[in-house]
Amino acid sequence: MEAATAFIPAGSPIEQLAVDLGANGLPYALPIHPNLVHFTIGLFVIAIAFDIAGALYPVEKRVFRFLALPVTRGGFHDVGWYNLLACAIVTFFTVAAGFFEMLLAVPLPGVTSTIGLHSMDPMLWHGVGGVVILLVIVAMTVWRGYQRFVWRRDMGRQVQWLYLLVGLGLFLVIGLHGTLGAELAGEFGVHITADQLLAAGLDLKESLP
Amino acid sequence: MLELLPPLNEHNLPWMDTIHPIVVHFVIAMGLITFVFDLIGVLTRRPALFEVSFWNLLFATAAIFVAIIFGQVEAGLANPYGASRDILNLHSTIGWSLSGVLSLMSGWRYIIRSKDPQQLPLAFLGAGGLLSVLIVVQVTLGNQLIWVYGLHTVPVVQAMRAGMV
Repeated sequence: MEAATAFIPAGSPIEQLAVDLGANGLPYALPIHPNLVHFTIGLFVIAIAFDIAGALYPVEKRVFRFLALPVTRGGFHDVGWYNLLACAIVTFFTVAAGFFEMLLAVPLPGVTSTIGLHSMDPMLWHGVGGVVILLVIVAMTVWRGYQRFVWRRDMGRQVQWLYLLVGLGLFLVIGLHGTLGAELAGEFGVHITADQLLAAGLDLKESLP
Repeated sequence: MLELLPPLNEHNLPWMDTIHPIVVHFVIAMGLITFVFDLIGVLTRRPALFEVSFWNLLFATAAIFVAIIFGQVEAGLANPYGASRDILNLHSTIGWSLSGVLSLMSGWRYIIRSKDPQQLPLAFLGAGGLLSVLIVVQVTLGNQLIWVYGLHTVPVVQAMRAGMV
């Protein structure tokens, strides 16, 4: 069988843009996707955490009384709902920015990551995983909305236990997904100026003083 | 102190990868969303959002101390070079300052909420705006440390150990 590389055209599409890109492979200095990720992860984690706090409210209300911190169960569930809503909105942009920057990404060749992945693998998994996570977050937001406004509107505990369980499950998926993203940067040098300069054989003392 | 930590890996860290950038998810997202929800709450007269931003602010405040602890350890192992030395110094100074600013704002917010949870003084909204600017500046500095200078990334650590940086 002929090697697959025989079918790859010599001029990669990225070369059409090369003159407009910096050493980090982007038309700007700092990547956008990793900054939007702060919102996706932060808002999702806190949303689920506060819905758990709302669900376990009967257990913990004595603690808050002891702390002289006035709380309401509805307040906790408000955090759970609004943070998740904001998370769902931001995550469209997180994924969009991620795909734009992935199109311009050049993982350093010949690297094996800490969890044993090679060059393109983590990027492909991270791309597909990102879309799946976006879908799950949007589905959970719709689910959360039905619980809040229709199914459980008159109940103290605004969320089903299954919802919280799915949320905790997504923590694990996001943790693994984030590890892939971190490896793309910290090990494969994607969009990191210093790493790409070193890979090009340049001396950082001169090229990045 | 350093001998108390496990041996350093190819990221020059005693643990798998940098923890500081993970903890700051909560400072950045919760700190900035507090201002966003306060603004929407004032503009659309939805006091329920004030409760949401209160809890987010409290979480940002708790998280920044954890972020500073990991930040200091990882900064101590970062071996900054060139201009990244000054950026790291400034990032550390603003980081510690932010812990004070966030603590003060949490205390102030607690009092506002105790008096009347349905109202938000415009002065607090203004302070929230200033806090957001400070967070954005701090995030930009942190971004430069990783995305430009690649501190704690494997290629930079390798070059450093080879004496090339």
